[in-house]
This record gives sequence, C-alpha cells and structure tokens, in this order.
Amino acid sequence: MNEALHERVRRMRERALIRSWEYRQRNYAKGAWYRFRRILVDAAQAWIIDERDADRLQSDGRVPLPIGREFAPPIRVFLLTEEQLAAASSRRRVAVRLCGELLQARNLALIAHE
Amino acid sequence: MIAGSEVPNLLEPDARSTLIVSKDLDIAVPVERHAAVKARLREVQGLRRSEEEPSVWLPLEAELLEVNYIGMQTRGEPAETYVLEDSELPLLVFAHLSLLRPGKPLDIEGLAVPVPRPAGLLLEKLLTDRSGEKGDRDLLVALAVLLVSGSSDLEELETQYRGLSAELRFATRSGLSALSLLEPRVQMPDPTPHRALLARLMARLENVEQER
Repeated sequence: MNEALHERVRRMRERALIRSWEYRQRNYAKGAWYRFRRILVDAAQAWIIDERDADRLQSDGRVPLPIGREFAPPIRVFLLTEEQLAAASSRRRVAVRLCGELLQARNLALIAHE
Repeated sequence: MIAGSEVPNLLEPDARSTLIVSKDLDIAVPVERHAAVKARLREVQGLRRSEEEPSVWLPLEAELLEVNYIGMQTRGEPAETYVLEDSELPLLVFAHLSLLRPGKPLDIEGLAVPVPRPAGLLLEKLLTDRSGEKGDRDLLVALAVLLVSGSSDLEELETQYRGLSAELRFATRSGLSALSLLEPRVQMPDPTPHRALLARLMARLENVEQER
C-alpha cells in the first residue's frame, strides 16, 4: 500500500467534505462571501465613496444591495451608472478584487460591465 | 493524455509554453488502460520511478520534466478520488478527471500528443479544491483554457455543466467568481482584461440554473 498516495486521498476527501459543508451553508452566513464575490463579478469598476456621498445616494432613492447588510460592520454597496457616480465627489477607484482596500470600505459604488 | 496545467501551454500557437504553472507534467491514465500503460512504461528511457511516490517518474537528465501519472475514470459521474493500488504503478484516480474528454492530438515535432478537449479541462480546473497559491494557479489555468476556447467549446462546457450535481455546479460558479477577482501573476494570464468574458460565462451558467 502506498502511504503517500493514501495520505493525499485523505486530504482531498477532507477538502471534499468542507466543500459539501460550504454548499449546504450557501444560503446562510457562510455563503455571504460567494454572494459578495458574485456581485463583484458583474462589476467593471469599483469605487470607494464616503459616508456623505453614500447618504446622498440613498436620499436620492438609490437602494444599497442586500449583500452589504450581511457583513458586520455593514457595507453599503451601490450599483450605479457612470453618470450617477459622477455626482459622488469623494469617489476613489479601487481594483475589483478581494484586496484589503476594497474589503475595508464601508461604502462602495460599482459600475457594471457594458 | 496530458491532463494538467501544462495543457494550455501546449495549446498555445506552436506550443510556445509561456505560462509558468508547474515543473512537472501530469499524464492521465484511463483506469482500463492501466496495464497497457504499465507495460509501455518499462520501455521508457530517461526517467526513473520515485521511491517515495511510485506514480511519479523523475528525470535522469536536466532537460526532461518530472512526470506524474494520475488515474482517470472514463465512464460515469465524477466519483470519489481513490488509490488504484499496484506494486509497479499505483495511481491516484482523481474524481474530477472523469470530466476530461479526448481532444484532437497535437502534432509537436512529429509526435502526436493527446490532450483533452478544452471544455472538460476548464470545468475540472474551475472545480479545484485547493486553496492558496495552488488553487489560484488552477483557476488561472482555467482562464488560459478559456482564452483558447471557441464558441463550440463553451457550448460543450454548458452541456457538461448541466450534467453535474448541484454541489459541483455551485463549486464551478464559486471557482469562476474567485477567478474573476484574482490579481495578476507573472507569466500567468491576467484576469483583469477578461473580467467581462468571465461575467458572461457566469451569466450563461446561471441561466442553466434558472432553466432547471
């Protein structure tokens, strides 16, 4: 019996069990990361905006995406057009990836792919 | 069949091999061909079997690559990964390699090199269960395969995706979402300029979900 191969199989089966657990949890808190990644997939651009601009967007009727409320502290994530974003003077572009800068933002504005 | 991350290197024009993905070569052995491959291995020169892991063959010369023989089921659904015990050539039979379908062999300097069709390889790489650097590289290999895929390959991908369990379909989409957000790496394809393509593929897979 080849111990090295069996050890690799054991580790792979552990990962498969974790994957199954993550799948069962997909609609709960554990799935929040997938849902967050999913909205970012559709974003061509991501911008960090300040509280005042986020408040103004909300008072203008822009509704933050529900995913942001799943995090603590919550993130206000807005899906905007470029024209809507132009009114946010505090906007600062950030790479669309799971980097510290994006994850620490409390208010995000996303522009979808064309 | 060449099965691992070296495939997109071979699929580049003239097999230019610009991606640095691994320093070994995975050769997938269909379990029903195990005895025949084992017999041919006795004729191979320039490689010797690793004592620690006998499915790995080590190069005797610097210009040769290490070869990793891995097992694949060619029939049925992706099942559990297992060890095919053999005193001479034991194989780790990877569950998701059953997604690979033989493609048109490449002709490289007169040698017919069997490679998988892009659709199955793309799915298999998106389904990586590895994390960290290795998992990211699997996903970037998936991108490299996607970039050489045509519309018929994507149709085939969709067909194969439909046949997966709900859990594996979700894992495929999860892998795709992670790929879309990866940062560039040296000598690997950069997802950034291809994020719209990845978003379209995601939408296509989600359409399948809505049709179910």
